[in-house]
Amino acid sequence: MKSAGGYAPARIRGHERNHGKTVASVLFLGGLGLMLFELISAVPFGSAPMQVGQAIAGEAFARTGADNIVTAILLGYRGLDTLGEVTILFTAAAAAGMVLAGAGRGEAQGQEAGFIFRTAAWMLFPFLLVLGAYIIIHGHLTPGGGFQGGAILAAAFFTPLLASPASPFNHRVAILVEGFAGLVFVVIGLAGLAKGAFLTQLLGTGTPGALLSAGSLPVLYVAIGLKVGSELAGLMARVFGEGSARS
Amino acid sequence: MTGTLLYGGAIGLVIIGLYAIVARRHLMRNIFGLAVMESGVNLLLASVGYRPGGHAPILVAGAAPGPLVDPIPQALVLTAIVIGFGVLALALALVVRVRQAYGTLDNRAVARRLRAENGEARS
Amino acid sequence: MSQSLPAIIYPVAIPLMGAFLLPIGARRMAELAGLFGRIVVLLSFSTSLALAVSIWTAGPAVSAMGGFAAPLGIVFYADRLAMLFLLALNVAVFLFWPRGQGAKGGPCTLMLALLAGGSGLILSGDLFNIFVFYEITAVASYGLAASGRTHAGFAAALRFLILGSVGSSLMLIGIALIYARTGTLNLADLSRIAPHALTGPVGLAAFILLLAGLGVKAELVPLNTWVPEVYGAAPARVSALLAGVVSKLAMVVALRFVVQVFPGDGAHTVLLVAGILGVLAGELAAWRAGSLMETFSYSSIAQLGMVALAFSISGAAGIAAGIALALHHAVVKPAFFMLAARWRGPVGGLAGAVKDSPLAVWLFVILSLSIIGIPPFPGFWAKFLFLKAAFAAPSAGVWIAVFVMLAGTVVEAAYLFRAVLVFFADGERGGSTPRFAFAQLAPALGLGAVLLAAMVFIAPLGASISGMADEASNAAAMAARVLDRGE
Repeated sequence: MKSAGGYAPARIRGHERNHGKTVASVLFLGGLGLMLFELISAVPFGSAPMQVGQAIAGEAFARTGADNIVTAILLGYRGLDTLGEVTILFTAAAAAGMVLAGAGRGEAQGQEAGFIFRTAAWMLFPFLLVLGAYIIIHGHLTPGGGFQGGAILAAAFFTPLLASPASPFNHRVAILVEGFAGLVFVVIGLAGLAKGAFLTQLLGTGTPGALLSAGSLPVLYVAIGLKVGSELAGLMARVFGEGSARS
Repeated sequence: MTGTLLYGGAIGLVIIGLYAIVARRHLMRNIFGLAVMESGVNLLLASVGYRPGGHAPILVAGAAPGPLVDPIPQALVLTAIVIGFGVLALALALVVRVRQAYGTLDNRAVARRLRAENGEARS
Repeated sequence: MSQSLPAIIYPVAIPLMGAFLLPIGARRMAELAGLFGRIVVLLSFSTSLALAVSIWTAGPAVSAMGGFAAPLGIVFYADRLAMLFLLALNVAVFLFWPRGQGAKGGPCTLMLALLAGGSGLILSGDLFNIFVFYEITAVASYGLAASGRTHAGFAAALRFLILGSVGSSLMLIGIALIYARTGTLNLADLSRIAPHALTGPVGLAAFILLLAGLGVKAELVPLNTWVPEVYGAAPARVSALLAGVVSKLAMVVALRFVVQVFPGDGAHTVLLVAGILGVLAGELAAWRAGSLMETFSYSSIAQLGMVALAFSISGAAGIAAGIALALHHAVVKPAFFMLAARWRGPVGGLAGAVKDSPLAVWLFVILSLSIIGIPPFPGFWAKFLFLKAAFAAPSAGVWIAVFVMLAGTVVEAAYLFRAVLVFFADGERGGSTPRFAFAQLAPALGLGAVLLAAMVFIAPLGASISGMADEASNAAAMAARVLDRGE
């Protein structure tokens, strides 16, 4: 198995290279690039019309109570995009799980990392958890939010796995968390139907700048953070080969 | 100047990514090309929202600290990055399986084997 | 006037909740996953049906997500065209629900995600939101393409994914280009701004980039190299679903773009060229193909090319013809795929099939007659609508489209009759070709019944389609419904 671990570039390099084709594709792509550049430069840099953006920037705070306008857009104005985006992550994780079921472990996955990494991975774990949680619950006030925080949560769980592949990763809990977090998102959205439309903001806007403000947006972000965290960790653990050994 | 650099860099990344996908036969390189191309697209999208002298779209004490950059492309990019990540992870999972199945990651060889297998009668 | 209908989110929300819940239960009770999924689809179908009735009686509906009115927020826009394809998607997902070994948690979850994504794709009225739902649909179909868990399935899915992701990235560049020019993402808003902001080469390039994304799913040339690979390697039910309905969803979205954002001649010419290439390449490859599966993969490319040709004729008549062709294909092609899944291998090996499985062969004959366009089958009416639209709006491009369409029909007839002649070959005693179990034939027979029913109700069906096309071709009225709501 070790010899096959070199992927396959050597075998491919063995084939004769077709220089004519390479030159042709470079020329074609270069032309395409110039064309795209000309097209995008037709709007001078920094002067794109910002009508919708301006309008949102003007009213977002009053409507949602979130200081971070990007958050107001992600969870309010374009909340459906965000639901779609977590769905894509969920679908990719489900597909990857299906594809990799029974694939067995690869050759590089049995090795323990060195002492420093192993120790640091466990020492980092609580700090990463706190940092992730902090970033998630402050998403409506400061840069950050469910996706960034969720990625850090996933790192917290994945780093120990990288350090010692034998350590357990509980896929059942990950599936449970991602399923229910997604459900919470949709249910909050459907609850908004009572106030007019899907994903209408609930709970009022609250005191500007306070941690408990911006109504249901932070709740959505917690759901996203948990969902993204469990999905990323689960996905990486699957690709890494951990989960497939058991399921 | 900044604009040329950003737009040029973004388009450049897209083209480099496309080259890795079109002209290279190694499936891993194709997937890296995909990642590079997506970064280029995201950079392009983020650059569209630029305003001279604009601040990050976060209010301080409920008021804008000055003119803001367009917040919408930033939200779009955030969405696009996560989408790209999901697709990439699925691609890697499939690569593992293709490698196990055919013992090679040469895209053209895989395509040949695939056609041969599809041509055969399966029950 | 438009009605506000917040419940229009249910066709997306119900399958989405089902998809989130299914993996939790599937770990314990794998055998119940299929049943649970079917119940969710039925629920989604009945909700969609109720919404469709309301839209048929009270006119197109709009819902602003989160209460943020267009163009600031995302809107769903549902007219009769959207509801028709929404119902077709629900029916197809139910009909082609995974069976047997494939009906585990993974494929069932992906089917529900595909249903949610496709529903959002057809209902959304926002450019970037369409991209997001398109990606859900795409990722679910990459997964489903591999759900047979064969070597070929993994390889085909990976190559499909790479091509599809390149298309999606190009589509995103197109969206960036449009946003940079107009500052909005709402289709209704764009229909007012685009005529003066998205003109000339920028508009054309933006349309081509968007079409590069949609074209992967819609099997447009040259983005369809995945078609024979995936349809050959994926489970037949998945092929039937992707070729039958999912490709049409992409086509309808392309139509929305043409009507609302790119009403100029340039976009129509692009569709015309894509259609011509699709019909020619598809039919010729289908004629040369060795197995039935391959034949129908390629002919599906040609059929979608014909839909593109119809949409390239500007005006409601062309749209009506395109809807009729797409609808007809959505009924016939999945049935063909279900037959071809049993009759694998070279066509020559199927000699005398009529003695082994007469029902399947006669179904094949009826489907063939309809897709070629022999009256009184519905396929004839679809092609007749196309010719009528072409004669009503004559131009050089339209005449080429008509010629290509007729030439394609001749080739189509040639290879379908060739197969039929083999089935009826004399001197074969039978027994050498596969027989159909009833469960295998049932979905195809059901679609055949739908086809025959359509033949009986062709007059009201035609009137309904042309009303639908009138509604979908009027960009100004659509924009007024979404934007001028007197709030």
